[in-house]
Amino acid sequence: MSNEHDARLQEKDHVTAQWQTEIEVVHGIGLHARPSVIFTRLAKSFPCTIEIEVNGSSIWLNGKSIVKVMGAKIRKGSVLKIRADGIRAAEAIAALKELVEHNFDEDKLHGRNV
Amino acid sequence: MAAMFRLQGKGASPGTAFGQIYLAVDVEETFLSPTDPSAEHAILSDAVQGSIAALRELAARSSTESASILEFQIEMLLDPEITEMAARRIGTGDGAALAWVTALDNYIAGFEQSDNEAVRARAADLFDIKSRVLAAMTGKPVADFPVGFVFVGKDISPSVFLAHDWSSGGGIVLFQGSAASHVSMLARAKSVPMVIETGTFNIAGEEKLLLDGGTGSVVLHPSDEELRQALSTRLSMRPIANEAEAPCSTKLRTADGAEISLSINVNDLSDIIGIDHAGIEGIGLLRTEFLMSSAADIANEDRQYGIYRQVLEWAGQKPVTIRMLDLGGDKPVPDRDGTSFLGLRGIRLLLARPEFLRIQARALLRSAVHGNLKVMLPMVTLPSELEKTVTIFREELTLLQRRRISHRMPPIGIMVEVPATAIMLDTFGAAEFFSFGTNDLVQYLTAAARDNAAVADIYTHAAPAIFRLLEHTVHIAATLGAPVSVCGDMAGEPEYIPALLRCGLRHFSLAPAQLAVIRSQITQLNADGTMAVEK
Repeated sequence: MSNEHDARLQEKDHVTAQWQTEIEVVHGIGLHARPSVIFTRLAKSFPCTIEIEVNGSSIWLNGKSIVKVMGAKIRKGSVLKIRADGIRAAEAIAALKELVEHNFDEDKLHGRNV
Repeated sequence: MAAMFRLQGKGASPGTAFGQIYLAVDVEETFLSPTDPSAEHAILSDAVQGSIAALRELAARSSTESASILEFQIEMLLDPEITEMAARRIGTGDGAALAWVTALDNYIAGFEQSDNEAVRARAADLFDIKSRVLAAMTGKPVADFPVGFVFVGKDISPSVFLAHDWSSGGGIVLFQGSAASHVSMLARAKSVPMVIETGTFNIAGEEKLLLDGGTGSVVLHPSDEELRQALSTRLSMRPIANEAEAPCSTKLRTADGAEISLSINVNDLSDIIGIDHAGIEGIGLLRTEFLMSSAADIANEDRQYGIYRQVLEWAGQKPVTIRMLDLGGDKPVPDRDGTSFLGLRGIRLLLARPEFLRIQARALLRSAVHGNLKVMLPMVTLPSELEKTVTIFREELTLLQRRRISHRMPPIGIMVEVPATAIMLDTFGAAEFFSFGTNDLVQYLTAAARDNAAVADIYTHAAPAIFRLLEHTVHIAATLGAPVSVCGDMAGEPEYIPALLRCGLRHFSLAPAQLAVIRSQITQLNADGTMAVEK
């Protein structure tokens, strides 16, 4: 079964591969209400699945669900892992990483919000 | 014109009524019981969608800053996860409102328990979301009927009775029913004429009927003469009702000088509107299950708090005894399995489903700062039930402290309505007061269901047994030094007052309509229940 899975992965081109990144949250009060809204809205704009894990908990949560993201209680200093699988995964990871690194810069994302 | 037709039932609540017939096709208890999960899912989903629409409208009218807070709430509600948390509970048999509140409370608790101030601060936003959706759940509407009509049917549920506006008259005729049922009690308290046990009769094609809740007669096509008589009887009864409202501020004493306290039982806020509390000790029994018209109310801490606060403010510094939800028995519950008179009801049900208990405990703790509140637990059988409840009150008190919400721990007492509790009263030293619920105490002591007309006579004949038990119990209460009162129907029935006095009882809580009669009776009796000799 794992062979099958590997085979399938290899068939994928770079657009649909699984991507992962790790970032430390430096935003003043962590991922509170407003940043959660921006984060999940951005995540939802990609077709791939997006999951997050906090402080090596091994619990992967749906990164498109604000209920789950809020529930993770991400704060300043938390280590956030983000993984994406599917179409435009690489692009999604890059965009989300940039968002967290730039303190959820709202102006830059303004055009993207629906 | 059809001939006059007369039927004989039993009077359950005195007074005459003449009006259009409303024939109830099939009377089901609709009030708190969730019908089927799909209906509850629809209530939940409608409330969430309605809240989103309302928030969007509000955001459009708000400043950018407020709008961004509202945006957060909208995003939360748009997330299917939030609905699913509650939906899982609906799957296990909860109604939509309770499922929503419990799911959100659990979610919010995760934030409140954080050691991080910023995370704890999120709890407030989530509370707002919780309340908004809860407020959007109106619950299942109770099927009402036109005002002034006479309800005719097999039986009538307390919720239908309470939801109806009786101020324009009307009455009730039941094919079955029981004088000891809750609806009969409610009808007497509200002076709604009611006749029971008429047996099924055909009223197809009939439009109006006349009923006499005193004699139990029901007349179809009454003659003009009969109508005139009935109406004059009704008018002649008015002054008695007015007298009941006249305040009497002096202390009530028996003929030989023993001080007697009279409190009122309240089922409905309209019971106290326009009543002066000058002549009464306070509210001896506020039946909370009748104040809440839907599962959404029961799950709504703020709505409960609002109701309790209103009552406490009405009473000023006079004591208000609020009884916790006494669901089960003949009062409908969200989950009807095992909630018969001998099953999960009162405190048993609250402890089995502590979500209800915790919501109500918080509402009571918060309202306690607005007056002289006492909390009474229904159907207590074991001291451990009282202990567990007090523990839950303390836990919720700690929670309110953490939330910096003002609160106060009220005295907690128990209803004495289970014979085992009466016999073992000395083991209930932790209770701060006792009140006899004679309706249930008689039912359990005599093994005669109070909603079964076939055994109704046993009640009357078993009176000596109940008085022997009361005397024994009042004596134990005195050794415990705890105040004791009677809040069952017996306290409002003149025929039982002498015996209750003889048992040593000095505090009676009764329907406001009975105040005048009982007050005047007591002044003519000695403290031992004997008639005072005219001097």
